Amino acid sequence: MRARLYSVAASTSLRERTMYLGNFTASMLTYGLFVFIFSRVWAGAYAGRSEIAGYTQSMAVWYFIVAEITSFGFGRYFWGLSRDVKSGQVAYQLGRPYDFVAYNYAERVGGSLADAAVILAEGLAVGFLLVGTPPSAGGGLGAEILRGGLLAVSLLLAGSLNFLLHFSISLTAFWLEENDAFYWVYQKLVLVVGTLVPIEFLPDTVAAAALWTPFPYLSWAPARVFVAFSPADALSLIARQLAWVAFAVLLARAVFSLSSRRVALNGG
Amino acid sequence: MAAIVAENLSKRFILRVRPQGRFAALRALVRPERRIVDAVKGVNFSVDEGEVVAFLGPNGAGKSTTIKMLTGILTPSGGGARVLGLDPARERKRLAWSIGSVFGQKSQLWFHLPPADSFRLLGAVYEVEPKLLRERTGALVERFGLAELMDVPVRKLSLGQRIRCEIAASLIHAPRVLFLDEPTIGLDVVARKEIRRLIEELNKRDGVTVFLTSHDMGDIEKVCKRAVIIHHGEVVVDESMKTLKHRALSRKHVGVRYARPTSMDLPGLSPLKRTEQSARYEVDTNRHALRDVVRALAERGELVDITVEDEPLENVIEQIYAARSGAEAAAVTRGGSA
Repeated sequence: MRARLYSVAASTSLRERTMYLGNFTASMLTYGLFVFIFSRVWAGAYAGRSEIAGYTQSMAVWYFIVAEITSFGFGRYFWGLSRDVKSGQVAYQLGRPYDFVAYNYAERVGGSLADAAVILAEGLAVGFLLVGTPPSAGGGLGAEILRGGLLAVSLLLAGSLNFLLHFSISLTAFWLEENDAFYWVYQKLVLVVGTLVPIEFLPDTVAAAALWTPFPYLSWAPARVFVAFSPADALSLIARQLAWVAFAVLLARAVFSLSSRRVALNGG
Repeated sequence: MAAIVAENLSKRFILRVRPQGRFAALRALVRPERRIVDAVKGVNFSVDEGEVVAFLGPNGAGKSTTIKMLTGILTPSGGGARVLGLDPARERKRLAWSIGSVFGQKSQLWFHLPPADSFRLLGAVYEVEPKLLRERTGALVERFGLAELMDVPVRKLSLGQRIRCEIAASLIHAPRVLFLDEPTIGLDVVARKEIRRLIEELNKRDGVTVFLTSHDMGDIEKVCKRAVIIHHGEVVVDESMKTLKHRALSRKHVGVRYARPTSMDLPGLSPLKRTEQSARYEVDTNRHALRDVVRALAERGELVDITVEDEPLENVIEQIYAARSGAEAAAVTRGGSA
């Protein structure tokens, strides 16, 4: 374990990301707009109804606010990784004495922590303005602190899972000149399966099937930890996230191992 | 001791070819067309520790592919290589501790951060102890004249300044072998000169083995003691710069000017340029003794001036590059015609 390397890589990336505050403007504007639009959509959907599939209108809005943090805070890995492979910039990294997957995780997720923190802060502020306080953690200050801690862990695991899946998809650039289509399919599945609407809103069979895929653990899991908090459920969701992260680590390592044998860096 | 050895080193790429014509995309789906490209065809050479070797070739000759195989980034399709006694393909990570590389068309520095941040990260990559890292960074800053640049974001540096930082960054772990892939590309005359001086100094003071690719003849003539020329994926020249110049530069340019219009016909020689009173000949000294040519020209009329110049090395390299095959290219250096 090379703790010093990975912490320096993460802090360097974080420093670069925070060099210009303007870096966050586009994603903050888009995220704020999405949250506002969905709050209006839910206002229409909840007209005359107090809850849908166990969610009140306030819960549905807060769900969306938290579920979108993975996409907006930890969502830009595919483009950077694919570009580095296609341009040959990856040559420098391949020639270094470190674990390629772990280094990229530290560097890229490290930089994303700034985006995730900014989006989370914006989400809390916008949520308060639109629907008031979030659903209670049920148990006073101690429960609120516990929820906050478990939410942070769940979001970090969601971001890590997102990175590892992006990593595996982007490395298909070693085989294919044009691999964007894989990403588009992946992104749409992430949106449909647990980001735009809670899994519980889907038909039972679809929801049951979705829980066997990694997609709900990118957005549904942290959002559930926040809007329907119970320590036991939160730990169960986090355990499932950990299992998917472990699977995604193996997948990323396998894809890297296969693709690094196919490196073909032409033209300098 | 040999720092770098390449034995029958080969790399074959399989390219997918996009067919032309109607329904080409559909046809490609059913029966994709592929083309085999032998980028490097069994090259052999070795570089001793402490040598500075130029690795030359036209675009697409296989230079960068060879460097990437020597640094372990690409796996050879055939043959093998040893760098500092290690097999780059199998021991890439182990080798990485002892080699440095600069790819002139790519950057290892963080674009929006000052170079100091990249140096700190590279120190962590190569596990350089913080105290030693400070000492090494200080020494590199002094030697490369980076004091004023270390806290300026890389994107604000000129290309010459950036390349100085790139080379310094590649030395943070004191590598024994340095691979420089076109380090002076795009630099102005002053910056090129400065980079050459730094490379020479690195080699002389620290004994670093330097394996350099460049299209700039100035780099090669000033810095390198030996040249390996690769063309069509084959090594066509592997000689000391001195030998290369003497063997290859068998052509002289003879210029002559007379006081009045003169007949300047010489049997077997046609002038490159000619006016009524002057002419310029390219003389292949393997075919015509220079002394006989000068004497014949002197006898033609009243001489005002006569000059004899070596053919520029660049022209010879150009002829090698223009050759259609490895054998043809090799013939150029043996004094034959391309």
